[in-house]
Amino acid sequence: MLETEELRKVYKGTAAVDSVNLFLEKGESVGLLGPNGAGKSTTISMIASLIAPSAGDVRLNGKSVLKHPNEIRKVLGIVPQEIALYPELTAYENLKFFGRIYGLKGEALSRRVQEVLELLGLEDRQKDLVKTYSGGMKRRINIGAALLHEPEILIMDEPTVGIDPQSRSYILDTVRKLNEEKGMTVLYTSHYMEEVERLCDRVYIMDHGKVIASGTKDELKSILSGEEAILVEMDRDYPELVKELDADEAILQTIETDKGLKLIVPKGSRLLGKIFQAAERHGAQISNITVQVPTLEDVFLHLTGRKLRD
Amino acid sequence: MKSIYLHQWQRFRRAPMLVVSFFLLTVVFVFTLAGFQSDDKFTVLALVKEGSSDQAAEEWIDRLNESEGMFFDLREEEEVREMMRDGRRNFALAVGDSDYRMVVAAEDANLMRVESYTAQVFREEFRLMQAEEAGGENIREDIQSSLEDPVLTVTTETIEGAEGTFVYDNQIQTLFGMTLFFSIYTMIFSLMNVTEEKRTGTWDRLIVSPLKKSQMYIGHFLYCFTVGCAQIVVIFLLFKYGLGFDLGGNFPAILIVVGCYAFAIVALGTLLMGLVKSSQQLQAVIPIVATAMAMLGGAFWPIEIVTNNIVLFLSQGMPILYALDALKSIAIYGRGLADLAQPLSILIIFGVVCMGVGVNLMERRG
Repeated sequence: MLETEELRKVYKGTAAVDSVNLFLEKGESVGLLGPNGAGKSTTISMIASLIAPSAGDVRLNGKSVLKHPNEIRKVLGIVPQEIALYPELTAYENLKFFGRIYGLKGEALSRRVQEVLELLGLEDRQKDLVKTYSGGMKRRINIGAALLHEPEILIMDEPTVGIDPQSRSYILDTVRKLNEEKGMTVLYTSHYMEEVERLCDRVYIMDHGKVIASGTKDELKSILSGEEAILVEMDRDYPELVKELDADEAILQTIETDKGLKLIVPKGSRLLGKIFQAAERHGAQISNITVQVPTLEDVFLHLTGRKLRD
Repeated sequence: MKSIYLHQWQRFRRAPMLVVSFFLLTVVFVFTLAGFQSDDKFTVLALVKEGSSDQAAEEWIDRLNESEGMFFDLREEEEVREMMRDGRRNFALAVGDSDYRMVVAAEDANLMRVESYTAQVFREEFRLMQAEEAGGENIREDIQSSLEDPVLTVTTETIEGAEGTFVYDNQIQTLFGMTLFFSIYTMIFSLMNVTEEKRTGTWDRLIVSPLKKSQMYIGHFLYCFTVGCAQIVVIFLLFKYGLGFDLGGNFPAILIVVGCYAFAIVALGTLLMGLVKSSQQLQAVIPIVATAMAMLGGAFWPIEIVTNNIVLFLSQGMPILYALDALKSIAIYGRGLADLAQPLSILIIFGVVCMGVGVNLMERRG
């Protein structure tokens, strides 16, 4: 349905997006995962025909979006990262305006606005000014403004940044409902791994402007299928202990975390005794130790050596 | 375009303070600087010239006060000098036994008018005195009765507006100058909605909609144009019908000039938006540009009294100069649209160039 071909964007000699190829099938929910500055927003801006690529193309049903930007604009709903609303207007007025620019009129427009408000759970607050809303409510209206014309493709650029867990959960449920019940194709960018794991069928992982891995969640996790992660929680940092574990050939990767260490080790390796002994040598107090199967976060760490929110 | 235009009015209804405040500022300024003078005579302070007699001075003052437009107020020299020192008066008239002198502390738009009138009165009086000496004592009464019951009446028409003719009307100057000046703020600040939309991301939302960019720009420009025109016209009507300001008999021509001026200012705002990088920068630039333009273009004082060649040269680049020129031509000299082709053409050309360059700069920046 939608695909990019060798998409590239260069700013002042630096490639913000470099040869990105991705595709979305109709009705799919696809995640675009990566840390800040990975090139996610630039990629979706090019897909949405907001900015022109330096090279490459975007195709919608085989047609070039570069040559025919109106083709995608008619079927696209975009939820920007920032709250792109008019705070001095009510939620109803905001939605009505965005509906009107998509050609909705009269009774059809009013009915559609009410449907969207109902979907977002904001019917009771529709007459309130947006500037009086909480962050979560603003985010919901921000999504609603992209839904009025019932788009076939919904692109969401980190739509849950800076909101409370309840609002986040409500938004994720809404996106899932749109995808599963309305058959909307969703491209969801985030640096929250759990959101992508919860919502998306397939995932593209981006870093430094490039797609470094892609596939279904299981396919990506299988990158680390022969490995497992050991989380070691300690009372403080022990650099000498890290150095010793890092030098151990049996440990594939040693990563310092907020609470202690994360060690990527071959599955089934019996290393717990070795870890306790090393900790004792360096006087480290281990408060907890957990062995877990790899998550997408671990896959990302494995691929980039960085945490998603670095 | 229509939805963008109507949307701007909806936003205006929710936040009208900006436009309302500039509207009120204009009314207050015009009313204070020109409104009170609608029925009063212009008062000129006078003093007795050193070494001259009080009686002779009083006689001259009585003669000068026969004017319908000015009142000469004879006061003690010390009092007059103190008022000039305090800045309450820019000039005064020192009257001697058979001559006068203008005492000037600062440039004043009325100075030339007062001096011209005084010189005329003195000249006439000397002629009468010469005639009295030559032809007898009754000549003054004969002239007076002849004036009251003339043998034939000669109607004189001046070729107003001819090169070098300058008629100063304080009310019209203040009304036109202040209204056009404050409308710059209203229009360009309203235009800042575009930069705000770009900052908040709503502009991008509109770009990915089926709307064309040209429709988005025109919707915004049309709103700023309308709000600017509305402010100017409402103020003109308020002072015309509320306070009896004489705007001449060709109000449709005034509307056309206002339209051309508003177009030029909206275009200037577009150019400024293209040149600056943020709405904060634009907020800082607007007062500088508006005030400089008003000072150079003759909004605060008539450009006709300016003699500095550099200022006169710079004024040629100010759209407010052409708008004021056209408006005064209609209100004071009674000219029609056919005579205003030049200033109106300049305003339109200025607008087209600024808008083209401004939109290009904004688009290039993305």
